[in-house]
Amino acid sequence: MVRRVLLLAVGLALAAPLAAAPLTVRVVEASGRPVRDAVVTLYPAGGAARAPKGGGHYVVSQKDIQFHPFLTIVPVGADVSFPNLDNTKHHVYSFSPAKRFELKLFAKDQSRTVHFDKAGVIALGCNIHDQMSAFIFVTDSAWTTRTNAQGVASFADAPDVPGRLTVWHPYLRAPGGIVQQAVNAKQRIAGFRVRLRAPPPAMSMDY
Amino acid sequence: MACAVRRLRIGSALPLGCALAALWPAPASASDLRLFTPDTLEVSGDLRLVAVDGEKSWVDGGFGKLRSGSDGDWKLQPQLGNADLIWQPQFTWSLSATVVGSVQGGQRTQAGLSQAYLSFRPMRSASGTAFSARVGLMWPPVSLEHLGADWHVADSITPSAINSWIGEEVRPVAAEGTIAANLGAHKLRATAAIMAANDTSGTLLTFRGWALHDRTTLAFNRQPLPPLGDEFSGVQAPFTRPLIDLHSGFAHRPGYYAKLAWQPPIPVRIELFRYDNRANPQDVIPELEWGWRTQFDNVGLVAELGGGAQLKAQALQGRTRMGFRQDGRRWIDNRFRSAFVLLSKPVGPVGLAVRGDWFDTRNRGSMWTQEYDEHGWSAMLAAKREFGLFTGVVELLHVSSDTPAREHSGEDPRQRQTQLQAELRMHW
Repeated sequence: MVRRVLLLAVGLALAAPLAAAPLTVRVVEASGRPVRDAVVTLYPAGGAARAPKGGGHYVVSQKDIQFHPFLTIVPVGADVSFPNLDNTKHHVYSFSPAKRFELKLFAKDQSRTVHFDKAGVIALGCNIHDQMSAFIFVTDSAWTTRTNAQGVASFADAPDVPGRLTVWHPYLRAPGGIVQQAVNAKQRIAGFRVRLRAPPPAMSMDY
Repeated sequence: MACAVRRLRIGSALPLGCALAALWPAPASASDLRLFTPDTLEVSGDLRLVAVDGEKSWVDGGFGKLRSGSDGDWKLQPQLGNADLIWQPQFTWSLSATVVGSVQGGQRTQAGLSQAYLSFRPMRSASGTAFSARVGLMWPPVSLEHLGADWHVADSITPSAINSWIGEEVRPVAAEGTIAANLGAHKLRATAAIMAANDTSGTLLTFRGWALHDRTTLAFNRQPLPPLGDEFSGVQAPFTRPLIDLHSGFAHRPGYYAKLAWQPPIPVRIELFRYDNRANPQDVIPELEWGWRTQFDNVGLVAELGGGAQLKAQALQGRTRMGFRQDGRRWIDNRFRSAFVLLSKPVGPVGLAVRGDWFDTRNRGSMWTQEYDEHGWSAMLAAKREFGLFTGVVELLHVSSDTPAREHSGEDPRQRQTQLQAELRMHW
């Protein structure tokens, strides 16, 4: 019995680096205002890195001449459907290096599906309606999430090893809209102070 | 009408055919071609209950500014407003057409063609620069109040004086190209068009003055003119057909319009528009319809004010001339201008809109002189609510105007009129 308890204690001690306390990341603007919907990704170093569970099916709909949701996080290998719920036709496209595609005119209640096989940020637009804009973040890390209204993102199962944290936001003033910092093995809290551009006005230029 | 159809049909066949050939990018694949699938057809329309006082409507040959009129007392009547059948076939993914047939009810029911044009919209470049083109019978991009192929009024029932006039007298057969590009965070859009078949534009605006209504001119249809007085009886027909070409040979004297739109990285859009039909003021046809050289400039502003509130404003200023020179002046030389400000805001499920309109004309012709100048204003309050395929709209409109031309029919030059409308719109 004593031997079993000792083995369990040793096992827990060895497992601790891989399942320690949550890693909490807070993203704020220079003014201290929380940044909502920033995508935070943790890339653990060495063998702790892990790809997300691949595949899955996601939906980005078009309703009221807008994409819904504005931001979608998907793993590499995901399929994303684009159902048109508007009374008008849409022509969805992306020129982003991670996935260039166009879904030529499709009407109400029709849908098209795109397979995303490479990590990166996909900026979506509509060739008919200039004001439509949305983003798909295709991730290759199992630790990817978005900040909440308080600007906080948390990884409950972050491994207790050194690594790299990245933060991406569509209006972040940085090359590629992304900033990063290193995290050490014991670090459980990280913070980013970023500068954002004003979102472009969602006004129609169409007639 | 047969004459007008013949003029358009014979004269426009060649240029429209060439334009179609130029726009056709590639043979249509079976998956792109959609001629009569459900998504190519739409139906919209409205029924309304109208209560109105004041003078007889211009629709009945009077000087009244509104779509409905009375004999001074309040009059209540149910009406079919507008009904539209919209057909938008797709020939290739980038080439489509829009054909809108309309019925307009009320005091003088009419049916006809509202718009008929081809659209070409290829994929934009990776830099975001986009090109598009339209060819056919269509409204130029002036109105900030109208939406959709059926050109319905978005925030109210009755459009402003400016856009009421656009619906009546400014709808040419045009070949139009647009380039849209982004300069950093600034969005720019430039449009240019050559046009024909709009030679009589300005007739209604001069003889009747400004008006406020949602009754548009359908192709080849005529609009009544109010009593013209001694000067023009026997010179000008008692009606006008705004969508015709008077000069010999279709489009031998084409006009043009152009537009610039700029959207800076704040929720504001500014538009500049210029129109010149280049009609010959001395052209006249046996039916006594004249060429009216009409030019105008329009400035538009749209601003999002937060909380869903939106401000729209337009100001238009122009000039129209008709007839021969006499004592160094054309028979008619009318300088016209108008402006409106429209504020809309959602309050719960209801969209509220309030608008103020100002308009006037200044006549300096040798036969139609400053004694026919018009001054007026209007105020409008509207509320709308959507119920699925239906939209309910209630609108209160008051208009006040002063023009001595009313004395031709023995009326007081100054008239006030109030109209209360409740409308149920359907879109399917």
